[in-house]
This record gives sequence, structure tokens and C-alpha cells, in this order.
Amino acid sequence: MGKRVLIVDDAAFMRMILKDIVTKNGYEVAGEAANGLEAIERYKELKPDVTTMDITMPEMNGIDAIKKIKEADSEAKVIVCSAMGQQAMVIDAIQAGAKDFIVKPFQHSRVIEALNKVTG
Amino acid sequence: MGNEFDQYLSTFIDETKEYMSTLNEQMLLLENEPDNMEAINEIFRTIHTLKGMSGTMGFSNMAKLSHRMENIFDLIRTEKLKVTHDNSDLLFAGVDLLEKMTDSISTGGSDESVDISQVLTQYERILNGEDLEPVDSVDTPSKTEEFPEKSSEEQNEGSESPIDIPDEVINVLREGKGAGFKPYYAKIRLEEGTLLKSARMYMVFHKLEELNSEVLYSKPDVEKIEDEVFDREVEIIFLSKLAESKLVKALSSISEIENVKIFVLTVKNETGGNNMSESGYEEQANGKATQKKQNIPNMNQDKSNQEEENSNFKKPQTASSKLTRTIRVDTEKLDTLMNLMAELVIARSRINETLKKYDIKQVDESLAQLSRNTSDLQNIVMKIRMVPISYVFNRFPRMVRDLARKNNKEIQLIISGQETEVDRTVVEEIGDPLVHLLRNAVDHGIESTEERYKLGKPPTGIVRLDAKHEGNNVVIDVQDDGKGLDREKIIAKAVERGLTDEMSAAALSDEEVFSFIFLPGFSTKDEVTDLSGRGVGMDVVKTSIENLNGSISIESEKGKGTKVTIRLPLTLAIIQALLVKVSNLVYAIPIASIDSTLNLPTSEIQIVQSREVVVIRGEIIPIVWLKEVFQLPIDEDKENIHVVIVKVGNKKFGLVVDGLLGQDDIVIKSLGKLLKDVNEFSGAAILGDGSISLILEIANIVHQNV
Repeated sequence: MGKRVLIVDDAAFMRMILKDIVTKNGYEVAGEAANGLEAIERYKELKPDVTTMDITMPEMNGIDAIKKIKEADSEAKVIVCSAMGQQAMVIDAIQAGAKDFIVKPFQHSRVIEALNKVTG
Repeated sequence: MGNEFDQYLSTFIDETKEYMSTLNEQMLLLENEPDNMEAINEIFRTIHTLKGMSGTMGFSNMAKLSHRMENIFDLIRTEKLKVTHDNSDLLFAGVDLLEKMTDSISTGGSDESVDISQVLTQYERILNGEDLEPVDSVDTPSKTEEFPEKSSEEQNEGSESPIDIPDEVINVLREGKGAGFKPYYAKIRLEEGTLLKSARMYMVFHKLEELNSEVLYSKPDVEKIEDEVFDREVEIIFLSKLAESKLVKALSSISEIENVKIFVLTVKNETGGNNMSESGYEEQANGKATQKKQNIPNMNQDKSNQEEENSNFKKPQTASSKLTRTIRVDTEKLDTLMNLMAELVIARSRINETLKKYDIKQVDESLAQLSRNTSDLQNIVMKIRMVPISYVFNRFPRMVRDLARKNNKEIQLIISGQETEVDRTVVEEIGDPLVHLLRNAVDHGIESTEERYKLGKPPTGIVRLDAKHEGNNVVIDVQDDGKGLDREKIIAKAVERGLTDEMSAAALSDEEVFSFIFLPGFSTKDEVTDLSGRGVGMDVVKTSIENLNGSISIESEKGKGTKVTIRLPLTLAIIQALLVKVSNLVYAIPIASIDSTLNLPTSEIQIVQSREVVVIRGEIIPIVWLKEVFQLPIDEDKENIHVVIVKVGNKKFGLVVDGLLGQDDIVIKSLGKLLKDVNEFSGAAILGDGSISLILEIANIVHQNV
């Protein structure tokens, strides 16, 4: 029933929080990834409806991951997860094709709004 | 979901209830002022939030209904639909359904139990334009040369911010027009609390770019936007081939955008110099001064309008920032806190009492400190328990409106002092009596419109509800300008019931006569409705008020109206009392009812009409020997007596006691159900020395013994 979300973040805790939020709001967690490279793999494998993408991650950062994902699937819907003060990165991410951004610490309503808007 | 669901649920219910009262309030406002944009926006926001919340909680019926209501308010907001009596009834019906669903949810049910289909169908009809009263022919892309959204709220208010367009931009606009582009002006406002505003605003620019639109100009400029040097609003001028509605939709789809306003600019081709088209200009300036300058519409508006707009924005902001500074506390915890506080007050008194015996200098200071601190603490705890009486008052406008419509009367309810704070327990208990009084005022007090017309009164009856602080009391008045009480008829009724005889009735004051209607069984519904125009179940009201340690009185003038005054103590838990000795027992008399205390020679007691009285400053005051009342042994040979003068209503009485012990804060403990028939005492208190003192119920003692 629910739209499937791929959650990408290097922190397990942040993934848990996001998982909690999205599952509580009728989304399904398709899978998780802990860095950009993993994210690309998982994206191709799972074909999620939407991906939440942390920016700062080991191996490959979120922005590069978005670019790669977009190359593979131009319709990919990605929401960037940013911390305060990452304004420029967020703009880069949007240029790279992110559809929306959410700011940590996450406000549930904002997360859901972003998910709904992007998938709706 | 399980526990987590429950955890969210109580918050959801609390908040929803708050929103419901906002809705009712604003709907009433809107009904009276159908053009009140602030109310419309507030309602829109509230319903929107409700929709989001109920959706989040999975209450789909509620979400569905609020969604439809939101749609309707969107039409109202954009002035495509007018608020009329008929559709406001329908919207009220929706609010009622939402309320029902909330009630159902809060009592463990679900929103599914409420049938919303009928209302939904009617809403559908409105949304499909069947009842639609277009204010303006709605914008279509073909009408670009005008200002289609002159109907938009801000246009009407004439409160668009001024923005200067450089000449180059105007030239580009003109060129663009030739190439099939339309010049647009947009004002984009971010939601309050938006984080990373530049990035957010960048998304707007990015979106426009994606839509092959060209941004020519922005205020503030791009650099400032990048540096986040802007509040929440950005105005832009851009060229696009898309229709305005598509642009609005596209930009609104970006998260955290509170509001998008877009309209087509009208650029005069050659002759008007660089000016905007005069026609469009004048139209949207709405009769205001229409100077011809080269700038965006409404540049020529006066400053006051801007200020108006600013203040419009500020209101919701301060309201919401206020919200975030509060926390929700379970009322049970507050009660526990109050109880603990009470115990602490007792303990302090006991320590005081004990240490007094030893007269230790060293502890005096710390004891004084302790006393101050506990008093402060007590004050704060009391304040925490205080809530504005608006919690109760808020539902009345709606109730009075409905009652008035049902009775076919025109009634205006004027509420004042709703910010007056009272103890939470008072708020909980005062609702029903007030409903009763307001009902009486509307049903029986205010005359029908025709009757009022005949009497030469203004057709709209006025009911006033007022609350204010008076010393340690809160005073609530319910007043109407209706037909008033009929003294003669009440006396006739009282005589018939054997409550008085005609002879003595003639000597009674109005107040005494009116107080008959508080007697149980004095009034039966049918009879009283035409007899006095009032008084249905007034005994019930009186009992509830007295249970709150309050009093109620009535003033009325035939043909002019009636005023019922309720006096309630601010708090019900801790009171100040005078401790008195009678024989060897200690009794407490609430300070609030004491006028003064006296020490008199026994010889000054006089007998007037076989009643013992004392004369103080020319005033004859009946006295009551508490010893007699409590049937304690009397030793008559004292030279002096102690008299506590108390006030009951407007009258003074003297209570004779054996000694005055001092003033103290006492915590009222109920006597419990077993002793509920003992009406000489309102409760008991534990004193500093651990002994127990009974608290005198002055009014009852006086009534029974004088």
C-alpha cells in the first residue's frame, strides 16, 4: 500500500528516526544504505518510490550519489537530508536533481510533507 | 502502532479541541464580518492543520471532511465564494461534525461513527460551483492583459509591497511579450520557521528555470537571498509562457512555501513610456490614488497599508510563538502538586507553632525565609492552576447564536473580561450554571423582535457576559436587556406557595423578592416562562455556585432587563481564615466574609424585636452566639464579648465567640459524603498544631439563626 522509501544515512540512529517517522505515516521502508555507493547499489536493486539522502557520508557523499542515481534513473525522486549550515550543499543537491530537502533535527511534519509532495 | 499511537493521541485530542474552539470563534466572527480576511485565513490555516493532523493520525473521515472544508475556504479566501447565511450554516454543520468526531475519538471511539456523507455532498455542490457566487470572473490565461487576481486578498487590501522595476527590466518585459512570454510578478512567502531559507528560495528559482521561465528581477536581490538577508518574502519579476494557474501550482508544490501570489503584469507597448498600463493599474489600485509611475502595481499605496499588512503578519506569529512556550501538563499532576503544596503549608504552620514555644532566635530568620518561600510557591502553584475564563466563555457565542436563531430572535452576545483567570476547578464547574443563565436570558429574557419593536427597543437584544477580579473573588455578570423580572408576579407566586404573605411581601426589597426564584421548586418551567420570564431551574444554578463557595444575586428592572451576578473565590483549596475560640474548640472563619472584629462590654447587647443586637456606628447588627448554635455550655457572666462581624450579601451579622486566635492560611478539606448534610460547616482544616478545626459556613449559620 504505502510508497516505498530508501533511507540513506551513515548514522544508524538517524536511519532509525527516519524509519520511525516514515513507517508511522504510511510509508514503507524499502531498504537502507549507509553511504553513497551503497545507496546507488540499493537504489538500482530496490527501485524505491523515494529516497532520503544524507549529504555528508563516507565513501561517497550524497550529492555525488544523487548525480549517479539520476544518471541511472532520471525520474528518481530524492529528498536531501541536511544539517543546519549546509545551505550551499543543499543548493548543489537541488542542482543535482534533488526534489526537496529536510533539515535535521527532523520535524516529523516536514519529513512527511516532503515525502508527500515528492511522491504525490 | 500501539503505545506510540496512544502517546500521540492525547496530544492530538488536546490540540484538536483547541483548534475547534478557534474555528467556532472565527466562524462567528466571519459570519458577522463576511469580509474579514484575517478570520478567513485563520480558519483556513486551522482547518488545514486539522486536516494534516487527522491525516497523520489516520482519521480518514475527519481528514476528508476537513479537506473539503479547506477547499471551500480556499474559494472564500480567493474571493470566488462569498460567505452567506446559508453556506455559513453549512460550514457550521461541518465544524459540528468535526467536533463530534473529536469527541468520539477522545472517548475511545473513532471518527468513522460520525456520518459526514450528507454534509460532504452539500460541500461538493458548493465546490462544483452550484452555489457559487463568483465575485469576479475567474482568471484565465486569455485574460492576461488585465489583473485577474485583483480579487486576491492583498490586492483588495491594496497592501502589496512597493517594488521598483529598473527601466532595463521593463524593456526586457516588453520584448519578452512580443516573443510570446508573459510578464509576471510573484510574491512568495516562506512558512514561518523555515530552515535554510536561501536553499528554499533557490528551489523557487530552480523550479521556474525548469519551467523555462526567466527571472529578471527580484527583491531582495539574488545576492541578498543567497546570504539569507531576507525575512520570509521575496518578490520577483519573471517571464513565462505558462498560465498563471500552472505557475502557482508548480511553485506551491515546493515545500515550506506558505503562500504564492502571481499575477500578470500589464506593460504598455510604446506610447505610455515605460509605464504600466493605466487601466490595469487603476483597476487594481481600487480607487486609491492612481499615480502613473513606472513601478509595480500599488507602488503608490500609502504606508499605513503596509503597516496594516505587517500587523496582519505579526498576529499569527506572536500567537504561534506563544504556543511554543507552553507545555501541556496532565491536570492530575496539577492536582497532586496543589495537594502537596497544601500539605507543605500545613507543615510550615506546624513548625511555626512548635518553634514559637521555644523562642529560639536563631531559627527565626530561617523560619521567616521559609514562610516567604512557601507563600511564593503557593502563589505560583495557584497561578499555574489558573486558566483564563475564555476556556468557558468561548463556546457561548456559538451557543447563543444557535439559540437565537432557533427562537427567531436577534441577539448579540457581548463578552468581556474573558482573559480573567480563575482556578481550573472553577472553570470546570462554572460552565453549566452559565449555560443555564445564558439560556434563560435568550429564551425568556430577551423579547421577540416584534415585541421589542413595539416596545421601542432596538430590535437586537443584547446579552452581556462579563468577568472580572474583585479582591479575592472573580465576579461574573450575565446581563440582558430583555423584559426583566416582574416583582408582583413573583410575590403572587410566593404567597400562593405560602412562602410569605402579602403584608410582609410589600416590605421586602426587590432583591429579597427576586431571591425567591432561587428556592427549589419555586418555579416550574411553563409557569415561570410567562410568569417572570426567568427562573428556570435557578435553584440548581444556585446550588452549583454555592458548591464552589460562591454566591449569586439578581438585579432586575421590569422592562429594562436582568442582571445575574456570580461571585466566586479565586481558589477553592487554600483560604485565609480567622481562627476563633468557642469554649475550648477552635473554629475557622473565612477572612473573605469578615467585616471587622470587636470587643464589647456585654451590657451593650440590646434587644430589638425580641432579637439580640448590637449597635455599631449607628448600625443595628443582629448577633448570634456560636455557643448556642453549637450547643456548647454558656457562661453568662462575662464582662466583655468578642464579636466577629461578618457580611452575608449586603447585611452584617455579629458572631459572638470566646476569643480570637489569629489569622492563618488554611487548606480546606471536604467533610466527606457522610457529613454532607451538616451545613453549618463548609469543611475542615488541619491547624499548625495538628489539631482539626471546622470551617464555618457563615451564610448558612446566619440564615438558620437569625
